[in-house]
Amino acid sequence: MSAAPQSSAASLRLRVAVVAIESARIKRLAMLVAAAGHEVAAFGQAADAVLTDGRAEALGAPVVAMGAVEGEFAGFLPEEAGPAQVDAALRAVAAGLTVGPLERRKDGFWALPEASAPLLTPREVEVLAALADGLSNKAAARRLGISPHTVKFHTEQLFRKLGANCRTEAVAKGFRKQIVEF
Amino acid sequence: MPDIAQDAFNQFSAALAERVAAARGLVAGIRMRGHSPRSGTLWRKDVVVASEQALPDVVEAEVTLADGGVFPARVAGRDPGTNVAALRLDGTPEPAPQPAAEPLPGALVLALAANGSDGVAARLGAVHSVGPVWHSRAGGRIDRRIALDIRLDRYEEGGPVIDPAGGLLGISTLGPRRRVLVIPAATVERVLNPLLTTGRVARGWLGAAVQPVLVPDALHSAAGQPLGLMVIGITKDGPAAQAGVLMGDILVAVDGAGVGSPSQLAELLGPEAVSRQVQLRLVRAGNILVLAATVGARPAR
Repeated sequence: MSAAPQSSAASLRLRVAVVAIESARIKRLAMLVAAAGHEVAAFGQAADAVLTDGRAEALGAPVVAMGAVEGEFAGFLPEEAGPAQVDAALRAVAAGLTVGPLERRKDGFWALPEASAPLLTPREVEVLAALADGLSNKAAARRLGISPHTVKFHTEQLFRKLGANCRTEAVAKGFRKQIVEF
Repeated sequence: MPDIAQDAFNQFSAALAERVAAARGLVAGIRMRGHSPRSGTLWRKDVVVASEQALPDVVEAEVTLADGGVFPARVAGRDPGTNVAALRLDGTPEPAPQPAAEPLPGALVLALAANGSDGVAARLGAVHSVGPVWHSRAGGRIDRRIALDIRLDRYEEGGPVIDPAGGLLGISTLGPRRRVLVIPAATVERVLNPLLTTGRVARGWLGAAVQPVLVPDALHSAAGQPLGLMVIGITKDGPAAQAGVLMGDILVAVDGAGVGSPSQLAELLGPEAVSRQVQLRLVRAGNILVLAATVGARPAR
């Protein structure tokens, strides 16, 4: 791969309006905007995005809400989000995407997973755990005391059973719903 | 010219509105500082139940009954296992819900909720499916699996679900992909007393993370079954650790009852299992091994 030139999107400075009720909050949000490398829009000035503590009304620009978990916002950030997350969220909403922390997606009351096909063998589970730890076939073989060839065989079985095309996908699919804590 | 004012459609509509009016005494709006309002169900005198997953982590709340009256409320207990939270109030009327008939797929139900401004919101839909007892991911035992063909907004979760005769089927709950489930009245009743007295529902706990696996062919007959639960994580000093369970062991039975799926194990680890001595039957390194364990209580979240 050739070295890509500095992307213009990555260096783009956004103009961000800050909306909160208390002046201390406004100050804190403005500091985050600055730390994220963006410009705080003056009152009444057009903005590319809005950072708020959750009390913003319609403002004509996509809104990232900090500390809010619901509402008609394009983005949601936890109260403790740092400049890097604020930067990522502001860029994303300015580009027309929605943003939320991962845990929001866990919503819903789920049943225990059933022991449904395709079930893995104990050895396949061990190999999957080695993949999850980022081990190479060789390192996995050393850990499990089997040959790299056997690891490769189990890995292929895992890909087939889980319908995965790569190690990351196998790990994601293999561990997603199957593990239960008792 | 048929009499439109008296035709079946009009009567049906009027009957629905009547049912909603008759059940509105059960509908509770829950307000909390800094959060948007939620819905709940006046379950007993001075007790409102709500959806645990929908209720923010607060202690104080204010409950508005759709029939009138605003009450300060305290969150008395939460059970993520059955998705029931209990709020304690003072001075509410005694609700008088009818018991619901056995739900049948296709039968109509009404899902009621607080509408956020002291009134009632109502949704009409069919029972999508009815299944047997099931276990939630958090380990709770839910008496029936009742799915509704209704969409609910997030704030409506936890309101009463009413059958065509006006019987209280249970409370609404958002499941995976926002499908609407009902936590049956029997389940709410079962967890309510422990919630009100101790704030939680105790459940058996082994301190092990497990994953269903195939038992190696050669061990099928010794294990007594083709499926088992492989231990892939052990809580330090938890019951499994103290019993000598190791990572990689395959649990096949508890006290002689086969555990080939997570729900079979969950069934054996209900509230009554806490402190019980059990025999864990395991496959380790190709051999069958039996270890004695003392079931603990699942730690609070």
